[in-house]
Amino acid sequence: MALKALDIYKLLPKKNCKECGDPTCLTFAMKLAGGKADVDLCPYLDDEAKSVLGATTRPPIRLVKVGVGERSFAVGEEFVLYRHEKTFYHPPGIIFKVLDTQTEEEIAAVVKRVRDESFTRVGTDLRFNGIAIENVSGSAELFAKAVGTVENNADLPPILMAKSTEALTAALVHCGSYRPLIHAATKENYKDMCALAKQHGCPLVIRSSSLDDLVSLAKDCNAGGVKNLVLDLAPASLRDFIIGSTTVRQLAITRAVPDLGYPVFLDTTVTGLEDAALTLGIVKYASVIVTNPLSPASTKAALTLRQNIYTDPQKPIQMNPGLYRIGSPGKDAPVLMTVNFSLTFFTLEGYLESSRIPCFMLIVDTEGLSVLTAVAAGKLSETLVRDSIKKFAVEEEVSHRKLIIPGYASPLSGRIEEATGWKVLVGPRDAAEIGEYLHEEWKQ
Amino acid sequence: MAFDINFDWTGSISEVTLGATKAQGGTRSVSYTIGRDTTLPFLSPDSGTPSPLIAFEICDYPVYWSPLIRKYCGDLCDHVDQWATAAEKTYGADMVRLHLTSTKQRNFSDIASVGKTVESVLSATSLPLIIEGSNEPKIDSEVFQKCGESAQGERLLLGTAEASRYRSIAAAALAYNHSVIAQSPIDINLAKQLNILLKEIGVQRDHIVIDPYTGALGYGFEYSYSAMERIRFSALKGDTDLAMPMICSSADTLTIKEVREADEKGQDEMAIKWEFYTGFAAAVAGSEIICVRHPETIPMLKAAFASLRNGAKSAGVP
Repeated sequence: MALKALDIYKLLPKKNCKECGDPTCLTFAMKLAGGKADVDLCPYLDDEAKSVLGATTRPPIRLVKVGVGERSFAVGEEFVLYRHEKTFYHPPGIIFKVLDTQTEEEIAAVVKRVRDESFTRVGTDLRFNGIAIENVSGSAELFAKAVGTVENNADLPPILMAKSTEALTAALVHCGSYRPLIHAATKENYKDMCALAKQHGCPLVIRSSSLDDLVSLAKDCNAGGVKNLVLDLAPASLRDFIIGSTTVRQLAITRAVPDLGYPVFLDTTVTGLEDAALTLGIVKYASVIVTNPLSPASTKAALTLRQNIYTDPQKPIQMNPGLYRIGSPGKDAPVLMTVNFSLTFFTLEGYLESSRIPCFMLIVDTEGLSVLTAVAAGKLSETLVRDSIKKFAVEEEVSHRKLIIPGYASPLSGRIEEATGWKVLVGPRDAAEIGEYLHEEWKQ
Repeated sequence: MAFDINFDWTGSISEVTLGATKAQGGTRSVSYTIGRDTTLPFLSPDSGTPSPLIAFEICDYPVYWSPLIRKYCGDLCDHVDQWATAAEKTYGADMVRLHLTSTKQRNFSDIASVGKTVESVLSATSLPLIIEGSNEPKIDSEVFQKCGESAQGERLLLGTAEASRYRSIAAAALAYNHSVIAQSPIDINLAKQLNILLKEIGVQRDHIVIDPYTGALGYGFEYSYSAMERIRFSALKGDTDLAMPMICSSADTLTIKEVREADEKGQDEMAIKWEFYTGFAAAVAGSEIICVRHPETIPMLKAAFASLRNGAKSAGVP
């Protein structure tokens, strides 16, 4: 049962000491109530208050940080099953895997790719997040050497994948202080793994195909002093994964099984269906996804999907209002007005580019609303259009005075003509028809 | 301790039958009944449904088709019947979706040719068909009537009804017992409204497939993904006006910048991956028919669905 902020406040020391990072105990209580802060941040709580608060106020899925420095990433702290209920907060880290049987050059090439590769979409740089090194050689020495090669080439969050603690110990010499994620503790080896993770302050993956085992492993590791855990459901198929990850997410966010309240790990390389596993992991609750280095096409598709799914549905992505050019439009080029909803912008831009007719796009500020909604809500009006034409000096760019407006804005056509003195042409409702429209109507 | 998740759903997705075999009064080699699910996609032990189905899209007037596909499929594009055969025999699709793009030509009036095209595709493939009729309200009525008639008994899926124009298509579906694709612009309320409109003129729930409209990956796909999840969620919560199977067709995929601007060598792969990531994610959100235009997307989706549906291992898949 979740506590209200005021109930929580009663249990706090009310010193307003700011040591938790919040200005007052009340604001800290409000954060706790929202699952946005950890009880442990308050140094003055007695054990009883802690145990009362701990179970109900800690985020239902623990925030786990991997790596240090600029490229470190944090996963977990999610609250919902569907992104439309609120949003998904922490995009999964997508990690390229190298093997300790590969040559130094091969490993370095992969590391450099993750270090340097990025592309920009809707104003955000999209990149991969880290390097997983797997101990397939069986040799601690080769494993440590491979980890050394990774560390020599970049400061990227590492994941150490090994069954033997000897190999891990050797590797931790190179990266022990960089918060690598250790993979993985199982029923058989968890004591040793736990000790290693505790010694270096590393997050630890616990692995089993049975949720019962994961619960008891989580309890044991917590008791052993390792709290930053990640769950590997060891799925044998995509079906295993979707059932397991949905179950874990649902039981965690409802706090039915708090011991499953950790981010989920997915190694796509064992499935033989990497693109599918990657897609599934991104949409269905994986937080750390290990994959072989991806082709250029898979890279773009996967990073774009991750960006799409982790976009906050309550905040439409907006374009900056302004005059945009398609090709090199001249004084007689058509001017098309539309709204600053990013989806509208990109869809129209795409069709205009493929029409190969140079033109201007006049983007007006409807606060990110689509044409239909903006017209209905009164956010798209003749005064907005008139002011935008002025503000972006459209009259200096073209010699004609003709404005093409979206089909859904047709109710405004008369009023826009009056307010602007421009002749208004009502374009199609569907951007897909804009090429045809321009070829047929504008040319006349 | 067993960990089961129980969502207490009360609703289920209604069944829709696509295609009719000889025994059912048609000529198809197979008939699919989709829908029926009572929980989130792929979570039930085995719903027994064949979905998600993969529909390969073809057209009868390829001028309006992606140059990339025209290049890949070659001469097939000029022979819609052979293209349909290839969809079944070579590419391994579950269904064929025929777009009657010929009706988009200016002042198109040769309605008889529509009937001939439908008949030739029906004899070229034994798979159930989806047919996309005209794009022009003026000839809607005649085109859909002709499609419906030429494929009487075949349990077609006819597309696409929208709130502003659904009467002609509904009339053809009702007259010849076909089903209808009901498309709304990425909005659960508009989807519901259209289903109610269709219901009011007599189209039954088990003859409707919802198309929530799929924006291409990177171009609004997140809206479509959430619309699909919300429709599925409402259906399971018991809203029968939204409890129909869904179809996903990310037709814009082949015209987006990433595909257009990929270098020639990588263009096919970009198109395939883009179709795959979109279609597969849509299936996870609840779409039961996934439409694709690139033949090579089909085996990828098939292998992924097998692993998702039955837990099949991926042996032998490249």
